[in-house]
Amino acid sequence: MYDFSHAEALAERICNSCNFSKHLKAVLKKCICYQKEVTTLMQNRPAIVAVGRTKFGEHYGKEPEKLIEEAWLAASRESGLERKALEACYISDCFLPITNKLGLEEGFLSELTELHVPMEVTRSVSAALLTACHAISSGVYSTVLVGGIEKMTDRWDKIRDDLMLLEDPWSYYAGGTPEVNHELMLRAYAKKYGIKGEDLSKLNLALAEVAVKNHAHALKNEYAQFQRRITVEHVLSARAQSQKPLGLYDFAPISDGASAVILTNENIAKKLTSKPVYVLGCASATDFLNFPGRADLTHFVATRIAIANALKMAGINLWDIQVAELYDQSTVMEMVTMEDLGFCEEGTAWQCIRGKCESYDGFYEVNGKKLFVNTNGGLKADGNPLGATGGAQVFEVFRQLRDEAGERQVKTAGEAPKYGCTQEFEGFGTKGYVTILGRD
Amino acid sequence: VSSEPIERRVSYLGDRLKASRCRICGKEYFEIRDYCGNCGRKSYGKMQSIDLFYDKGKLELCTLVNEPTNKFMKLQSFIYAIVSFHDGKIRVPGRLTDQILKKGEEVDLSELEGREVVPRFRRRHSVSESDVIPTISLAFTLADEYYPHQEYTIMQPRKEYENAGIVGYGVYTSRFRIKENGMERAVPFIDEDAVTAAVEAGKLALIHSGVDNALVGKVYVGTESNPYAVKPIASKVAQVLKLGEEDDDVQAVDAIDTEFACKAASSMFKDAAALVNYPKSGMKYAMVIGADNSQAAPRGCPGGELDLFVGYGGSAYIFGKHDVIAEIEGWYSCTSDTPDFWRRDSERYPLHGGRFTGDPAYFKHVRKATTKLMEKLDLKPSDVNYFVAHQPNPQFPVKIAKELGFKPDQYEVSLQVNKFGNTYSGCSPVGLAAVLDMAKPEERILITSYGSGAGSDSYLLRTTDQLVSKRQRQKVNIKYQAENPFIEYVDYSTYRRLKLGM
Repeated sequence: MYDFSHAEALAERICNSCNFSKHLKAVLKKCICYQKEVTTLMQNRPAIVAVGRTKFGEHYGKEPEKLIEEAWLAASRESGLERKALEACYISDCFLPITNKLGLEEGFLSELTELHVPMEVTRSVSAALLTACHAISSGVYSTVLVGGIEKMTDRWDKIRDDLMLLEDPWSYYAGGTPEVNHELMLRAYAKKYGIKGEDLSKLNLALAEVAVKNHAHALKNEYAQFQRRITVEHVLSARAQSQKPLGLYDFAPISDGASAVILTNENIAKKLTSKPVYVLGCASATDFLNFPGRADLTHFVATRIAIANALKMAGINLWDIQVAELYDQSTVMEMVTMEDLGFCEEGTAWQCIRGKCESYDGFYEVNGKKLFVNTNGGLKADGNPLGATGGAQVFEVFRQLRDEAGERQVKTAGEAPKYGCTQEFEGFGTKGYVTILGRD
Repeated sequence: VSSEPIERRVSYLGDRLKASRCRICGKEYFEIRDYCGNCGRKSYGKMQSIDLFYDKGKLELCTLVNEPTNKFMKLQSFIYAIVSFHDGKIRVPGRLTDQILKKGEEVDLSELEGREVVPRFRRRHSVSESDVIPTISLAFTLADEYYPHQEYTIMQPRKEYENAGIVGYGVYTSRFRIKENGMERAVPFIDEDAVTAAVEAGKLALIHSGVDNALVGKVYVGTESNPYAVKPIASKVAQVLKLGEEDDDVQAVDAIDTEFACKAASSMFKDAAALVNYPKSGMKYAMVIGADNSQAAPRGCPGGELDLFVGYGGSAYIFGKHDVIAEIEGWYSCTSDTPDFWRRDSERYPLHGGRFTGDPAYFKHVRKATTKLMEKLDLKPSDVNYFVAHQPNPQFPVKIAKELGFKPDQYEVSLQVNKFGNTYSGCSPVGLAAVLDMAKPEERILITSYGSGAGSDSYLLRTTDQLVSKRQRQKVNIKYQAENPFIEYVDYSTYRRLKLGM
């Protein structure tokens, strides 16, 4: 009943378009074809019934537990479920053991909720959601909480060093910062595709426009860390000030925040809400921690594998996706990810962005269709509390699909989008996640 | 506090840039790997251990870091890069060192990309004063600037000599200088210290001599600016230079720190020579290193008068009986307990007993050792071609040389304090290196060191014809470092900042 031809074609294209060794090509193909078909699991199709989140930004006076409580209560209210209904919790955080000296977070959550159900901690909401989906699909649980917390501003003076924990220790020992890989990738990209002179200036402007666009989106997002319009001049002057190709406005900020998602199976979802949002596809892939040692310094192979597998699982075409939340830790990441997901040809995303953003009206145009990207402001403007970020991405796609995004609501031919996806990373492309959501 | 077991493992791999190569498919990996990801289980036991310590890399991509992470704050701004080795088979992260990037200065990154770089052994990053000092060789300099790439080729010994002597030597000083009062003095970069200078000097000596590092059975490292009150630095030198056979991760070498102010190294020349001469030792070579980031309090503080003369650098001499370039013909040492210069354990900078430094200290001991040796060997000043004396400042060595009856053309070659400053333990050996750099075969060199505290060692050396044939292997000699176009001059406050280290 599913058409896998697109996923297979994509797998073929990915393999052929990369400068991979024969060995790596084989690995890649195997990864893409490895994902099991899921038609048999239809009766337990995972569905999201409610979402909640806090505003992202600095929550100086709030402990991490206050943040997750706020997110959970919002989702709980929306679903009408009490905490006693939860059969398991999948929570993510990246740095709580470091920032807040919270080691065994599961016990801490048990104490807060007075629940003794199974709880697991991952490092991103996408990872938590993926695990939760497997549990729902397999029929082990029918109602679970998926969420994330992060409290990065509590270590304001040390957080950039902490962020290097997501990278190869040798990079840290060599003097690396959380920004260097983004800058190196940009240089590698421009070199590989021979972008120089005027084109390079255009590419740099396109990246600036990514930040401008995301800030513009965030103006309509009450939860966003920055609800402030910026201009290309802001981005450029920050770059000039730092004497670097990427400046302050090219990077996502340091944030606190929490997010929560209530996940059930299809049957229960239909009793709780008239508009369930299904997790149609979710997949992850892994790449070397050591960025210099990777085969391709211009793209993220983990994203390529994850999108191929997620599409295959969802049984939809890439072009069915109308709204996408991308992990724009930097403007470079948004550009490169547009290519990794298959929306743009390699080496061309900057032209697509540039062509569109000059007279921006809310969407990119890919393959002759509208694609709404980072409608919540992306990590750049919405904020990036690592462990909670993926939850904000799901929150946004959930709202968009249900036509509940208020001022931010996007429409194609007068209708809310039917399919959306989130794409997340842990580290600099070390773990790549793609989640495809859809409605009836 | 850094975790010492981690420090042990990281520096074991990172100081030498250890890597692995699959003997089946040739794939290479940074770090030690037990099997190849390409060949899987069948490659187990077939991985060849290699390292990149003497290699040159290519700077593939780079970016400017001007907001470093906390431990790199003292570097202020630097270039961070991806460096490849062996035509891209291995790619590692690294930073460019020996560069002071001025605030607001435009850096042309594409001008750097594609250039050849040399890995340098340096301090890794800042730590608190109580911590073990982390080191690494993921610091690079451009191969076409101050420090060129040099191959290390092990040479089979051709000839055994009757007396032990110098087989090879190396002198290292940093790229930075301060120029004041007609004197130039070497200034370490902020990630350099006595340990890194010792390793650099030792590396240059191995390259010059062509001696197999595994045959060096003993290393003496003399310094008075050991960054540790307790912990040998000779152990670091032995490990980084892989002296003696490596078994497991242990080197079959005796490594020892020595300290006697400025004669900590020269004092050990005879010990090294005697050791390789002892028939039962089975030891072919012994290395003596003198290296200092010469200590001095800031000007205007007690002990601050030293700040006018201190330098930075190291020298290393390898002693043996094979392929000798200068045989040792005799020596004389003398000692008295004269407290002209000292530093108590808890103090940061040494103090200087001004009234002792001249006559009762330096001149008395240098005079005594030199005249006694000349008497012992029945020498007149005209019997030697060169005279080298310890050089705490530009005046003292000239005054004593004249007094002892030597002529300017006998001692002027050795006068290096004007170029590098007083490199303390490395000082008179640097003067000797300047002479060896240009001496002819069958010439006699008289060298007298001086160490505060106080004592002197005087040696008579006679050069052989191998001195000339080995010379071409040493690109980085005294003249090269003294007259290098890439020397960068710094002002007083930068000099103090760099000297203090990271």
